[in-house]
This record gives sequence, C-alpha cells and structure tokens, in this order.
Amino acid sequence: MNALIITRVPNPLRHLFGVVLLGSGMMGATLARGEDAGHVGMALIPAGTYEPQLRNKDEPEQVAVGAFWLDARPVTNAEFLEFVRTHPQWRRSRVSPLFADRAYLADWAADLELGDRIPPDAPVVRVSWFAARAFAKAHGKRLPTTAEWERAAAAGFSQAIGATEPGFSAAILNWLARPTPAPLPNVGQGRPNLFGAYDLHGLVWEWVDDFNTAMTTGESRADTGLERNLFCGAGAAGARNLNDYPGFMRAGLRSSIRANYAVPNLGFRGARDLNLTTDSSL
Amino acid sequence: MKPSFHLIIASVLGALTATAGETPAACCAVLPTEKPACCAPVPAAKPACCAGEKPSAPLSDKSLYQLEGEWINDAGQPTVLTSLRGRPVILALFFASCEYACPVLVHDMKRLLAALSDDVRPTIQRVLVTFDTTRDTPAALRAFRERMELDSSWTLLTSTPADVQELAMLVGVKYKQDARGQFAHSNLITLLNGEGEVIHQQVGLMGDVSGAAKVLNESGK
Repeated sequence: MNALIITRVPNPLRHLFGVVLLGSGMMGATLARGEDAGHVGMALIPAGTYEPQLRNKDEPEQVAVGAFWLDARPVTNAEFLEFVRTHPQWRRSRVSPLFADRAYLADWAADLELGDRIPPDAPVVRVSWFAARAFAKAHGKRLPTTAEWERAAAAGFSQAIGATEPGFSAAILNWLARPTPAPLPNVGQGRPNLFGAYDLHGLVWEWVDDFNTAMTTGESRADTGLERNLFCGAGAAGARNLNDYPGFMRAGLRSSIRANYAVPNLGFRGARDLNLTTDSSL
Repeated sequence: MKPSFHLIIASVLGALTATAGETPAACCAVLPTEKPACCAPVPAAKPACCAGEKPSAPLSDKSLYQLEGEWINDAGQPTVLTSLRGRPVILALFFASCEYACPVLVHDMKRLLAALSDDVRPTIQRVLVTFDTTRDTPAALRAFRERMELDSSWTLLTSTPADVQELAMLVGVKYKQDARGQFAHSNLITLLNGEGEVIHQQVGLMGDVSGAAKVLNESGK
C-alpha cells in the first residue's frame, strides 16, 4: 500500500497551502500521525477555486472550493471486487437495473472473478454512479463534487494552474487523441499532480457526485426552465475557456450519462471532507 | 456547502442505523391514519407494528421504492417511499419558490388528472418532491399547497439532499441552483405503477397529456 507522506507544518489548517503532499511509492512510509491513517492513499486538496466551464450569466465566474481529501488514485478492479464480495447486492448478477444497467462490470469474467483480461490494479470501469457512491459510502467516503474534482484536476504537475504549465495541456490532449487501450493500464503509473493525485487525466473519466447538474444537452432545449444562454451555440459563447477542449469533453460526458449507466472508460475515486477536529493534527 | 455535507452525513448515519435495526417503524408511528397502506390494518397502539407486517411481497427490482431514506411531508411527519406502494403515482420534482416552471408543472399534473376517467382519477396518488431541501421546510411546502390549492390527495415531500438526489437520478431529473437561489431543472412528470415502477414520463411543459392519461387509464384497469 502506498502511503502519502504528509510533512508536518507548524500550524497546519491555518496554513493549508503550506502542507506539502508527496505521492510516494515507498513502502512503509511513516504517517505523520495516527489520525492520518484514515486518509491513507488520499491527497489533501487545499482550498481553492473552480471556474465552471459553462455557466449561466447569473452565476459567478469562480466558485470557492474548500479543502478536502481526494483518493490519490482511481478505485481499482481489485478494490471493487472486494467490495462486491462483502456487498452482495452490488454483484453483477444481483444489482437492480435501476442502479446499474446491463453493462455493469460486464467485462469481468464472473460475479466474483476478474478474469485474465482485467488487471486487478487497473481502474474499475463500467460502474454506475449508484455503485460508485455505494462503494465510497462503504469506505467512509463520498464522491467528489464537480467543483472539487475540477479544482483538483486543474493543478499541473508542478504548478498550481496546469493550463499554463508547459507540457501539461499537451499531455492531456495526447491522451484524448488515443483510443482507450485494452486492457487499461494500472493506476498510479503516470506523474502525480501538484497535490499528489494521480490519473486525474490520462487514464479514465471519473464520476462526480453532482454530474446531473451539467445541463448542456436536451434539457436546455426542451424540458427545463434553464436560461436561454445555455442554448447550443450560445453555450459555447458563455464558456470560460474555448481552448479547454478536455473541459468541454468532461462537461459533455456528464450531461450525457445517467446514474445507472456503466460506461467502458468511466471510473471513479472517493473523497472525504476535511475534518477540522481530527485532521488538525497533521 | 458545509451544512449540506452534515445533512448528507446525517443521512448516511440514518441509513446505517435504519438498516441495522428495525426498519420501517417510523412510517407507522407518526403517519396519519387515513394514509399509509403499510400501517392501515395495524392498531395504532402497537408501536412495533410494521416490523413483521410489511407488505409481504418483495419490491420489484425496478421499483423506485427500493430507495431507502426518510422523507418528511408538509405536515412535518416522517414517511418512507414504500408507503406509496399499492396505488399508481404521478410524481414531479419541483421547488416551492419557483417563479415560472413549477406552477405550470403542477397545472400540467392537474390537466393530466382532468383527462383521466372518473373511476381512475381518485385512485391516483399525487406526489411532489422538492429539491430545494434548504428552503422548502414543511411550512414552505404547506404554503405552496395552499397557494396551488392542492387537496389532501397531494403528498408534498422533502428529505436530505442525498436522498432527493438519488430519486432525481432514478427518474432522470436534472437540477442546478443558480446564484439567485433559483433552480434550473428538468420538467418531467413521472408516472409510477402501484409497485413504484416508472411506466411513463411526460417531458416538457404545457404538452399534450393524452398519452400519459391513456397509460394511467389503462393501468387502473
């Protein structure tokens, strides 16, 4: 199990930006404090802002995002297998079609068997939002919100804003230009971002808790009371950054899926609130 | 942000404790006597009523009533979705301070009811669920009921953000709050059969309700 090294800073929660997190492959890395054991494998994402890719004219350009914990890597097949072992209602053969469609874990060999084609340490995909949420809940976590996920993923490898870091955007576009490989690579192989989170780009898409707030498809034309400025062409005109192609891809994906969909390249990772009482001893 | 997370946590804890112990006691203890199918035959004096006397058949795997969680009606009484089991439902998600779409949505539901045959209409349960879980307290829902002249055949419900979100996901309703506190949202009227399975959805406002009426008229036979 990889651990995050959390270097101690004098007065941490009042100086969140001073907390340095290093993604580390070192075995047996010591945790700073006992309390941190609950967050093993998670990266602390410091408070920051999220700039929605598409927004209503009445919405602010920036949304404040509080500090939170985010899984440093997407959930793997092995981890999800363990979950369905202990939570039989989430096995492929038993799950309600309301909560996961027929593609749910469809590439696994059997209910409790990954099979040769599915690497245990590759990210689990073909999981529904309900299943991802149940997994997170079972681990005392939740799914990150869109704002949190985007806030974490906006960071570069070494700079706070990836978009202006040389090579960062190119690396993402490179990934988008390639078809999804089969089998998927293992998690945690790429370069971690500034906060120690791996694979936010470059491996799979990820569920967010409030994905259904992305209203860029039919809803804006037919069945919502949404402002007219989210209409097709005008939607792009109201967009933050017309060059953020990956951002449009994610927004488009979120608006096109439903909570019981199981999609071949859509996985997830967990998040957790910062607990001001127990986390303050970092 | 913060309070809603607490609510979510509370709901998680609630769900955990609920599954650990006797589940449905809440629905019997507090609900008014005329209402719930699950409690009707049980004498009010027995507190542990529902534990052994739930509707016997398990829910179908397409039933929305598989959603756990505790809901609160506009009388401030807790309830569970399975208490709707037994009769068809017309369901919409809304918020009470809505300026335009929601009154129209309710009007559409009334038009749909008007289009039903006289023998089917009284059997249909009308359910409105708010996604404005912060502002739509039972009192706010009660005010909406009065404003919209909704009689006792209408059930107005709220819950935790997480439970409302799951229900919205199941019926495919999207909603998003803007900076003024208004919600952009899908306008959908969902028809459920007695088992809580979606049998039809009416998309958009002021549409033709004859298709939905036909589905309900036939489901009542």
